[in-house]
Amino acid sequence: MEEYPSSLVSQVVQDGVILTSRAGCSLREFLTEECRIPPEYIDTRISTIFLDGSPIDDIDSALIRDGSIVALSAAMPGLVGATMRRGGFYSSFRSSITHAESGESWRAGMVPVRLKLFNLIMDELGPGFLKRGVLVKCRDLARALARQPDDFWEKCRNLTVNGERIECQRLRRDHALFSGEMALLTIAVTGAAS
Amino acid sequence: MDKILRIDMGADGGPKATVSPVGDYAGLGGRAMTTAVVSREVPPLCHPLGEENKLVIAPGLLSGTIASMSGRISVGCKSPLTGGIKEANSGGQAAQVIARLGYAAIILEGNPKTDDIYKILINKDGAAITIDNSLRMLTNYDLIPRITAEFGDNVACMSIGTAGEMKMNVASIACTDMELHPSRHAGRGGVGAVMGSKGVKVIVLDDTGMPMREAKDPEGFKDANKRFTAGLLKHPVTGQALPAYGTNVLANIINEAGAYPTRNFKEGRFEGTAKISGETEAEIEVKRGGLATHGCHEGCVIRCSGIYHDKDGHYLTKQPEYETVWAHGANCGIDDLDAIAMLDFLDDTYGIDTIEMGATIGVAMEAGLATFGDAEAAINLVKEVGKGSHLGRILGGGAAVTGKVYGVERVPVVKGQAMPAYDPRAVQGIGVTYATSTMGADHTAGYAIATNILKVGGYVDPLKTEGQIELSRNLQIATAAVDSTGMCLFIAFAILDQPDTFQALLDLLNAFYGLSLTGDGVVELGKKVLSMERDFNARAGFTALHDRLPRYFSTEPVAPHNVTFTVKDEDLDKVFNW
Repeated sequence: MEEYPSSLVSQVVQDGVILTSRAGCSLREFLTEECRIPPEYIDTRISTIFLDGSPIDDIDSALIRDGSIVALSAAMPGLVGATMRRGGFYSSFRSSITHAESGESWRAGMVPVRLKLFNLIMDELGPGFLKRGVLVKCRDLARALARQPDDFWEKCRNLTVNGERIECQRLRRDHALFSGEMALLTIAVTGAAS
Repeated sequence: MDKILRIDMGADGGPKATVSPVGDYAGLGGRAMTTAVVSREVPPLCHPLGEENKLVIAPGLLSGTIASMSGRISVGCKSPLTGGIKEANSGGQAAQVIARLGYAAIILEGNPKTDDIYKILINKDGAAITIDNSLRMLTNYDLIPRITAEFGDNVACMSIGTAGEMKMNVASIACTDMELHPSRHAGRGGVGAVMGSKGVKVIVLDDTGMPMREAKDPEGFKDANKRFTAGLLKHPVTGQALPAYGTNVLANIINEAGAYPTRNFKEGRFEGTAKISGETEAEIEVKRGGLATHGCHEGCVIRCSGIYHDKDGHYLTKQPEYETVWAHGANCGIDDLDAIAMLDFLDDTYGIDTIEMGATIGVAMEAGLATFGDAEAAINLVKEVGKGSHLGRILGGGAAVTGKVYGVERVPVVKGQAMPAYDPRAVQGIGVTYATSTMGADHTAGYAIATNILKVGGYVDPLKTEGQIELSRNLQIATAAVDSTGMCLFIAFAILDQPDTFQALLDLLNAFYGLSLTGDGVVELGKKVLSMERDFNARAGFTALHDRLPRYFSTEPVAPHNVTFTVKDEDLDKVFNW
């Protein structure tokens, strides 16, 4: 089984990665089509979903728009953790912030969507996203790389940034190897996890 | 557990211990026991630090057995922080040892006639109370090695640090964990100050020579425990999320919801959350040779705790949990986990409630005593509390006192107790519980999220806003009942989703005591506990007007959702209508 540098995955996906999606598609379509998450996993594992900071009960009626932020989590502890669950028994506790579709129109086309992954979902889906490639803010990536421990640099041999394969030791010495607002990051796994 | 140990610290000729049958308190454990004793024996109008107050320590009904998760201990008294009844509970080893020694409760009564410091040894031979002034003003982490040097490693301790000796409102009672670190605390309400008023520095508990408690139906008990444990381990929260990341796994989620109080509840989202999240915390712990998965007491199978090492790989503190990381982190604008871990250590060693202390520092920062985000200043403020400087004495009074002294308008307290880590404007249902709890603002007062299984109060439509009142009531009833069993509240997650796990819990109780308890019986127990607590508070002078959030939560919207607390007062007054 492939192992990924967990600290980098953790830091990148907690802050959020950028995917593109069709504007106006439902949250379920976004998760299944753009994120390629199996429907069963969505129904059984991802118990808590936020769209633009609002807990979601119905992923079929919630719509993706330009700049949407989607956060995914497994079942969480605490009363408030339970409160945030999709269609949960205690959802009335957070009714003032629950997502409600505004009915506003959207501009057709592909739009950027920021996807955050937390806890078990982060561990289980994070590596797959990084393997396929995601857009990240260069500033966030540089910050995440700067925080990597020595064993990350020893074990992870290369990353692909903006299509260019960069040898890790070079990257360690010089974070300016990528520049601009956003970078397309792919982690090619040739080493073991840190 | 058929006897009660009473120690009269104010007896003529010095402290005197007596053992009596459990009598009218038979069948009660944990919070039910502490509440029953306090409500019956403590004059509600007494001074919390006076001789009439009592400190009641009670293990749960299943403590001292092989039952999983049975190691919570309840500590009750009249609270110096709120002026009302208090039950604070804790993990650690104390509950298991007290139960195996056969005590359903240990009650400290009276106040000593001198200012001597006492230590109490309780073992199979009884209780020995001795003066030991050499322990005066020792911190918890300095105290425990002194105790183990004298009594050996096969003990559990309940102790106070310097804050308790100074009778501060923020003072906690520390319980040692399996490694004999004084890292588990009955934190809320100033219970440590009451122990300090009794002149007791430490209770040393030694169950050497005492057997594990035996069930009336050993086979049924064993089978129920097997099913109960399996239920906990198969659930994604108790079997996966909590062991992997600890309670602080909530940080990202609550932050995303805009319900993560930031900079003294001014905002609902903290930009530094990813740096202090449970995911990041677990990663740091593993990387430094600590532990991200660890139990706080014998028999814990969820193991939501951990061990936090400093940058050099040395033990610093136990894994700071969600409320602590929030209180000293986002609430003070601090995004440095090492600084938060240091604050957690200082709280533990001085014997301070981390929630109250973090909230107090947030108020102090709002008052201009330090800048939000200044971790070093926060550490220095806690040190002031620990050493009892004039400033430290003010801060040690808690958030409400500090707000009054420094003229701060926005002080997030109910009944004088600081709110925990959920903004009640974003999660209004928990605001109902904060407002109406008998304990002051308390997230655990309505925590046992099993009301649908228990069918407490009948069916409630969860999608209706008015359901919040009924749900809060039902949650408080269920929580009071679970607190009385001495089981860790985290079992609630598995119970919520798995009726068979709830049945296994009932089967555990029934097999142990030879009862035929049903869900209805559990509900009645919860109602009985809450009724006693409400009655005590009413006699102590509390009215419906105390069941309110501070006004600014109803008038000042919190970002990012820009919402206020909108539950009406008349609805809050209906919470305890049953």
